[in-house]
Amino acid sequence: MKDRRLSGHLLVFAAMLLIPAVVHDTFLLRVFTEAVMWIGLAVTFDVLAGYTGYLNFGHSAFFGIGAYITAILMVRAGWHFAPAAALGGAAAGLGALIAGFPTLRLRGAYFAIATWALARAIQQGVLMMDITGGPDGMRLPALLSPGFFYYIMLGVVGVTFFAYWFLLERAPFGLKLKAVREDEQGAEALGLNPTKLKIQAFVLSAVPTGIIGGVFAYWVTFIDPASTLGDLVSDQALVMVVFGGMGTLTGPVIGAVLIFTFKTVFWAYLSDYEVLYLIILGGVIAASVVFLPDGVLGVLPQRRKGVEDHA
Amino acid sequence: MPEPILEVENLTKNFGGLTAVNEVSFRVHPREIVGLIGPNGAGKTTLFNVVSGYYAPSRGKVLFHGKDISGKPPYVLAGRGIGRTFQVVKPFPGLSVLENIIIASFLRHPKRVRAEEHAWKVLEFTELADRAHQSAASLTLAGRKRLEIGKALALEPTFLLLDEVVAGLNPTEVDHTIELILKLRDQGITILIVEHIMRVIMRISDRLVVLNFGQKIAEGPPEEVAKDPGVVEAYLGVEKA
Ligand SMILES: Nc1ncnc2c1ncn2[C@@H]1O[C@H](COP(=O)(O)OP(=O)(O)O)[C@@H](O)[C@H]1O
Ligand SMILES: [Mg+2]
Repeated sequence: MKDRRLSGHLLVFAAMLLIPAVVHDTFLLRVFTEAVMWIGLAVTFDVLAGYTGYLNFGHSAFFGIGAYITAILMVRAGWHFAPAAALGGAAAGLGALIAGFPTLRLRGAYFAIATWALARAIQQGVLMMDITGGPDGMRLPALLSPGFFYYIMLGVVGVTFFAYWFLLERAPFGLKLKAVREDEQGAEALGLNPTKLKIQAFVLSAVPTGIIGGVFAYWVTFIDPASTLGDLVSDQALVMVVFGGMGTLTGPVIGAVLIFTFKTVFWAYLSDYEVLYLIILGGVIAASVVFLPDGVLGVLPQRRKGVEDHA
Repeated sequence: MPEPILEVENLTKNFGGLTAVNEVSFRVHPREIVGLIGPNGAGKTTLFNVVSGYYAPSRGKVLFHGKDISGKPPYVLAGRGIGRTFQVVKPFPGLSVLENIIIASFLRHPKRVRAEEHAWKVLEFTELADRAHQSAASLTLAGRKRLEIGKALALEPTFLLLDEVVAGLNPTEVDHTIELILKLRDQGITILIVEHIMRVIMRISDRLVVLNFGQKIAEGPPEEVAKDPGVVEAYLGVEKA
């Protein structure tokens, strides 16, 4: 079975813990923090996309809900960051529960459209509300500690990754999700309730995404509807997952690192050509769908596949 | 006669204007093998789909161990002890044969390790153990039909619906599968089986129910049903058996 060995993952995580000890440059630490954030967003996206086959084009909504709940609680109610971000995650999970009931009964394409539309509706709603600051966004109390944010982001994403690893690769839950993905009716005959499983996966995808949104808000100290609720979060997570390898935990991590590195280098040297970036991103996703159906992970020679194909 | 395990009462299933199953009633008793036969399009698979919870009946009802189960979803019925195979087999193609059976084993063995142990027993029993780590997609048709039976068995059902598990197999594989089915009966599993091959159905069934255009046209011991003029005309004539 793929990804069943824990030691490799733990080693990478331990190495990442050491980064602030080695990297003292503030800008670079910001880059690493953002890289970890994208790993988190890609992995959470893949729980639904890879393990159940449903593409959530409204993934940004969970991120944005988490960011806004955290900001509102901290700014307007004087909450501390941790409980505010936790509630942001809970709110995103609740959103998934409510949105999942009607939409996860739909087939994949309709689900993609429905989630995209819901995310747009939420973005419009936030634009019109007073409590969110509307189009002007919100400013959070600034905490100038790059190391703190790196560790918080890594902590949230790390806990998420290892919880997913346990649930999806070790516990029965992951196999049950894959059964639903492969054949929903066939899964039902074996005693599995597909709608319930898909909703559980959706919530499992949403909660950490909301918390990551909360960390992001506190970290960057300013959020607005475009930066937290725009399509970019969903689109980029999708590209990372498809490019890295769907339906695995390692694939999205690799995809996130490669795409994010590309993005960072591109912005550093070619920031005048913003449109070009989106064109390349689109090209990459089209090419990887056609040429790398299992993503980068699928072409790595040492990868032990879960099943041997004798077909 | 003991209490029937399955009672189908005046069951009707419409698809728009089409009546696929029309006022059908019959019973299945514990440890019986009942053959459900009839020409293509007679409504056999539809009846299976209603009994196993994929369709709610348009009229009539289905009782299992005396309780009305009409309209209950398939995953609930699997829990109650109804296992089924699909005429168009439904392997999880991207997963290994072992994983396919483990997933079914979770119903009675929620812990992963116990489910895997149980899955190996099922693999031995269905003679798929040597292909455990192959992908389900890579199996031959005979292998996929066997996997289909294995998944149903892993549910540890008391009642099994088998939809054309023999069709498309070569004679050796057919005999093999018949043996398997008889072994299941000997273990105490009650079986309702749809099959086109008369040699098979005559040999293993204790009783036959014959459908034609959605209606039951005969019921009884195989030798009697085979002589029934209505059945000969509707079904055997077509098959030239
Ligand atoms: N889901 C469905 N929607 C519409 N018509 C169907 C559906 N399933 C079966 N039918 C129709 O019901 C009739 C019985 O089909 P089926 O139960 O598959 O027959 P059998 O298994 O005896 O060959 C056929 O005319 C078939 O076309
Ligand atoms: Mg049929």
